[in-house]
Amino acid sequence: MTAYILRRLFWAVPTLFGISVIVFLLLHLAPGSPGAGGADSLRRASGRAAEEMRRQYGLDRPLPEQFAAWIGRVARLDLGESFADHRPVSERILEALPHTLALNGLALFFALALAIPLGVVAGGSPESAFDRASGAVLFAMYSMPTFWAALLLQTLFAVRLRWLPLYGTAADAAPAGLAGLGDRLAHLALPVACLTYGTLAFVARLVRSGVAEARTADYVIAARARGASRGQALWRHAFRNALLPVITLFGLLLPALLSGSVIIERIFAWPGLGRLYLDSILARDYPVILALSLLSAVVTLAATLLSDIAVAAVDPRVRDGAAG
Amino acid sequence: MAFVVVVLLWLVAACSPLFTERSRSIRLEERLQPPSLEHPCGTDDLGRDLLARIVTATPISLAIGLVAAAVSLGVGFTVGAAAGYFGGAVDLALSRLIEVMLCFPVLFLLLALAAFLPPSPATVIAAIGLTSWAGDARFARAEILKMKELDYTRAARAMGASTPRILLRHLLPNALPPLIVSAAFGVGWAILAEASLSFLGVGLPAPAVSWGGILSSSANWIEEAWWIALFPGLALFLTVSAYNLLAEGLRTVTTQGGRNA
Repeated sequence: MTAYILRRLFWAVPTLFGISVIVFLLLHLAPGSPGAGGADSLRRASGRAAEEMRRQYGLDRPLPEQFAAWIGRVARLDLGESFADHRPVSERILEALPHTLALNGLALFFALALAIPLGVVAGGSPESAFDRASGAVLFAMYSMPTFWAALLLQTLFAVRLRWLPLYGTAADAAPAGLAGLGDRLAHLALPVACLTYGTLAFVARLVRSGVAEARTADYVIAARARGASRGQALWRHAFRNALLPVITLFGLLLPALLSGSVIIERIFAWPGLGRLYLDSILARDYPVILALSLLSAVVTLAATLLSDIAVAAVDPRVRDGAAG
Repeated sequence: MAFVVVVLLWLVAACSPLFTERSRSIRLEERLQPPSLEHPCGTDDLGRDLLARIVTATPISLAIGLVAAAVSLGVGFTVGAAAGYFGGAVDLALSRLIEVMLCFPVLFLLLALAAFLPPSPATVIAAIGLTSWAGDARFARAEILKMKELDYTRAARAMGASTPRILLRHLLPNALPPLIVSAAFGVGWAILAEASLSFLGVGLPAPAVSWGGILSSSANWIEEAWWIALFPGLALFLTVSAYNLLAEGLRTVTTQGGRNA
């Protein structure tokens, strides 16, 4: 097991390197930078931005030197200053982080909490009425564009019914304490719902097909023969094995959630990392863009590593398999 | 059944030139009208007939989706197949690359590329193609690895066939079904990606109209004109669903053979 962990960590190093290279290349693709190609009116107008970039990144030096300098700074957690307001990038990120964590954390929680039981029940009786009905609903959820769902939900719940607020994290004149909490929850409702359903559909379908396949496997039949009830066989045996693909793909759920965040945060004016990223892209605020790209990729890598280790802990076949 | 929808979409796209005139006519006295007989989907904030705009956007969204999916599939399958087939150092290196790409939230990279390069359909296509290929690559690699161990590959090798010959005459024809399935899923995703980019304001430049762009302006009128959000989104949803349905159907058909073995 330790050997597997070490191997996995070893192979993560080039990936980490690759991530930083790609993020670094983004900087040089960007208009206003001497490394960028293509005419862009921004280049003419951004004398100041170009100055800033040259100052922060030493763009007149040779590429490898720039890269090394940047990596050195990042390793010391110096992410530079935002072009927009000259505050440290880390400060802007830390400001937005709790909002994104709240949104994504709740979305992930609800997605998994709802999807797994749903998948197990549906997979436990394939082709049943419940399975067909839930399958159709899940498919619709899977294909529905998040921004459309968000706009529709806004129209229904915020405009027509006026049950929920249209956007923002809290009302301007929000009361403190418990009532304030209620207000915050109301503001959370729509964004979380929109972020949840896509992941829910994906995981539920995965679990369903896993359980549906596993239930006809030998070990399940053997368990039944040994006298296990249908529920026991389903949950203790089929479910465990069906959970494997979910754990494996856990690392991929994170970037999907972050991508979804960008759109949801824009629609609901949610001051999280997604909106920070979008605003920075539109404002060409490169230090923030680079920092966020790097951060999200590194966190995803960590999550992938964790899920790989988790799978290896559960499944001995993986432990003894090949690396990479 | 999904096939029928897809064909219908193509027909709609083909008819779109008939609607261009209507979609462009700005009649401010008719702005923000709810659906009616004259304007089945209502009008937008400039008095343009919404249905006409939706139809006009169809060929653009479809074309971009298809080409972008082709690019993504092309890159993905090449990388994945190479990794799977050649193995060893090539596989290790390419697998790292695939893993790196999978670590980034796709929309982050997509936004960066689309926003930094000069706005044009080519940019959108390139951006989508260059950011979405990692999933296809991983899938291709797995498929090729499976095929490598099969009897006909070994037999071909034993008979002394050269590498290109094996690839072309044996692996590729058998890789075709999963390739087609990937392609179908890819189109659905690419259409969504283009719509997302247009929605966020970094997609196609004006005056090109796409569903995402219409939805973007609909957010401003959410309180007065719900139809501007409903109908283009519906078109988008139906299109993506059709392609996803098609892909799932294809997947069932192509894996059925293996299952019944």
